[in-house]
Amino acid sequence: MSALGDRLYALEEIVGAESLLTDTEAVASYRVDGEQPLAVALPESSEQVAALLREAAEGGLSVLMRGAGRHMHLGAPPTPIGLVVSMDRLRRVVEYDAENLTITAQAGMPLGTLQGVVGERAQMLPLDPRGGDGATLGGVVAANLAGPIRMRYGSPRDLVIGLRVALADGALIKAGGKTVKNVAGYDLSKLFVGSFGTLGAICEVTVRLTPKPESRAMLVLAMNSAEVKEVTGKLLRSRLEIASLDIANEAAVRRMRLSLPITLAPELRIVFVGLMGDRAAMVRQENEIRASSGGAFARLDGTQGGHAWLSLREAPHPNSVDEIVARAALPISYATETVDLVSQFDGWWSVARAGDGVVYAGPPREATTEMMVDRLAELREFAQRREGVVILEAASLEMKRGFSVWGDIPNLDLLRKLKDAYDPTGNLGCWRYLPRR
Amino acid sequence: MDKKVRRALEKAVGRQNVLTKPADLLLYSYDSSTAEGRPDAVVFPDSTEEVARIVKVCAERGLPFVARGAGTNLSGGSVPLRGGVVIVLSRMNRVLEIDVDDLRAVVQPGLVNLDLQNVLAPHGLQFCPDPASQKVSTVGGNVAENAGGPHCLKYGVTVNHVTGLTVVMPSGEVRSFGGKALDPPGYDLAGVLIGSEGTLGIVTEMVLRLSPLPDDAQTVLAIFDTLEAAGESVSRIIAEGMLPAALEIMDRQTIEAVEASFPSGLPLDVEAVLLIELDGLTESLARQAARCAEICRELKAREVAVGRTPEEREKLWSARRSAFGATARISPAMLVNDATVPRTKIPEVLREIQEIERRHGLRIAKIFHAGDGNLHSNILFERGNPEDFRRAEEATAEIFRACAEAGGTITGEHGVGAEKVKFMSLLYSADDIDAQRKLKSVFDPEGIANPGKVLPEPAEVGSE
Repeated sequence: MSALGDRLYALEEIVGAESLLTDTEAVASYRVDGEQPLAVALPESSEQVAALLREAAEGGLSVLMRGAGRHMHLGAPPTPIGLVVSMDRLRRVVEYDAENLTITAQAGMPLGTLQGVVGERAQMLPLDPRGGDGATLGGVVAANLAGPIRMRYGSPRDLVIGLRVALADGALIKAGGKTVKNVAGYDLSKLFVGSFGTLGAICEVTVRLTPKPESRAMLVLAMNSAEVKEVTGKLLRSRLEIASLDIANEAAVRRMRLSLPITLAPELRIVFVGLMGDRAAMVRQENEIRASSGGAFARLDGTQGGHAWLSLREAPHPNSVDEIVARAALPISYATETVDLVSQFDGWWSVARAGDGVVYAGPPREATTEMMVDRLAELREFAQRREGVVILEAASLEMKRGFSVWGDIPNLDLLRKLKDAYDPTGNLGCWRYLPRR
Repeated sequence: MDKKVRRALEKAVGRQNVLTKPADLLLYSYDSSTAEGRPDAVVFPDSTEEVARIVKVCAERGLPFVARGAGTNLSGGSVPLRGGVVIVLSRMNRVLEIDVDDLRAVVQPGLVNLDLQNVLAPHGLQFCPDPASQKVSTVGGNVAENAGGPHCLKYGVTVNHVTGLTVVMPSGEVRSFGGKALDPPGYDLAGVLIGSEGTLGIVTEMVLRLSPLPDDAQTVLAIFDTLEAAGESVSRIIAEGMLPAALEIMDRQTIEAVEASFPSGLPLDVEAVLLIELDGLTESLARQAARCAEICRELKAREVAVGRTPEEREKLWSARRSAFGATARISPAMLVNDATVPRTKIPEVLREIQEIERRHGLRIAKIFHAGDGNLHSNILFERGNPEDFRRAEEATAEIFRACAEAGGTITGEHGVGAEKVKFMSLLYSADDIDAQRKLKSVFDPEGIANPGKVLPEPAEVGSE
């Protein structure tokens, strides 16, 4: 038997032959940026995940973690992939403590399923990342993804209170706990949230929940770009209970295929204000928001409002494997100017999460690679001059080779030391996050 | 202290900002806990550069250093267990920038939490973390401990409100993690540093996330004949989908202490007082407050009062605010702990604490943030009576064990410091602690940043 055969056999011993895919055709659908893994494992327990990681480290097989595969476009092109560990079969609720407003679930649980479970008790996990209801809890946490309501409820960094993580050496550790307040030791969960599986494999996640609001409303304002900064700034500093505040340009509204009771124009910006809370408090808030801008105003009814919310949530998601989506993160007051800058590019769409300073943007379908690289460089320079960054959220392989996905990563030397400490053989993540030395 | 080292420190911050006389050093050898340790020098830097210079002096000689804010630490976190240099940050108390447009403030670590709130209030803004010690504790201390406070259930803890840090690393080098913008690429270094109790470096500048002050607030106070009924009320309120900003319970011992020192008219023959603070939009508050009051009455509350104006609310809060001081007044010697359990486990753990109290013949005054399961059991003992102290320590260990078994933690907001290191293995396996040690070794390979805190030595793991 070949050396590779031996290594695969050892993996098979852990998960069983039927749960280790090695057939070229079977593994083809697990390709990332054109790179095909040697094998795909479908473990059924955290212990199996840990054993796979240990075995892979010993056999020198690089490992790429995977949830539902909704966000595999995010990251630099991988170095050759040895083993993909799919968390697809780890989708159980471990413990739902409704009264304590916490739930622990396995990493592969789809977010939609989880929302269904806690919804029965009139609770919700206040996270609405792009990628559909099928995106997994572990994947969303590993990428620290959040959506429009982040401004009110935070991102996984804020909502995760505990993790069970398999480390590269096969140790299965616990970080954090089950209580909101917990300062016993270092909060290692902060290190693993948003680390894209490059320091360990997240197997179980404990998150804070919140009561489902009694009522939701989606208000739409249209105004000239010059007014947006003042209007959104006032709303952000107001005492209203705004859950989401998104700014979209005309191209973005068209890309989202939203039909709004408002006439669009290139110089117009559409501001979406999401409210969540008590029914009793909605009327006053609506009136104040209507009064905050002199321009067009509309209140979307239940179905339309829900549709707009979903569209805004999914706005940053690429519609095809090659579509390019950039994400800028800046101090929040620059969100408006960033949308303005992108709107000057020919046909580019842009949606800003005004409360978080996160701005998504993408070129029209007909743009050439050369032109896109120029525009992205301009956007990155604009953000960097304002203490911000631009990353490539999704792009074709060609584009990723022409434009750095992550840009300059601050404190890279220190991050590398952390990487070395937790993953000494450099086995985890196929160098899609920190660049290889 | 070695003359050469003293001279190097004097050169770093100026002669007048270095203390080495025994009487001065004594003042910095304890904090609000029972831990003690004598420093070799105490220095008062005024800038990031000066902190960096001091730490370089330490790093070159392998000398330990401990950062200190207001010294309100309740776990011995600011005590120099192995001597070395105490770096007092009280001179670095400036608000460097209030950036209303970006909803951020940039401040130095020595700034007192309440002083910050007072600067922000005219802008209609606040920094959400408001630990009970906010009149004295510093924002740097809040960051080092990842402080909570009564409003965590709704607003989260310090780490949820900090977006950037400037840090002097244990090598003396200055770095910044994060800033005004969210999501810098790379691992969340600011996130792991917050709550690290000065063992990974010294934070010298912080970028804080600001939030609008709530529109309005109302307070409900209910008096109960049993602790269980008070606890049950809390559960019902949450089950109905309300999320109060604060839910506080005081037990009989605490009420007695308060009434003995700062009489507020609470009856002495009751077992529990529940305080509920609701904040948000005026329109929702009246209904929610009425519903909370109704729930308390359904659960046989003896008396229920609702405070609507700021004066009325302050009156209802006054007993709670003075509780810690009042308890300390009837018994200056007490062991304070802040074990935390999932809220559902509160009744079970309370019964156990009462049993521990009886078994050891001790008085334990209990105040708890019932919303987030944070139990402050203040164990009163006689100072100078070693037998009494030993029993108090035993009781502490038993409480920690009970909380850990209930799925909770040994500290919710006070930190591990020096006092709880030996209890870490109640929560963590040797592998868990080893994973935490990796973090420490990356930041502080020489082990000079606040040594002896947070993590047990490898040999101690598993031998509680």
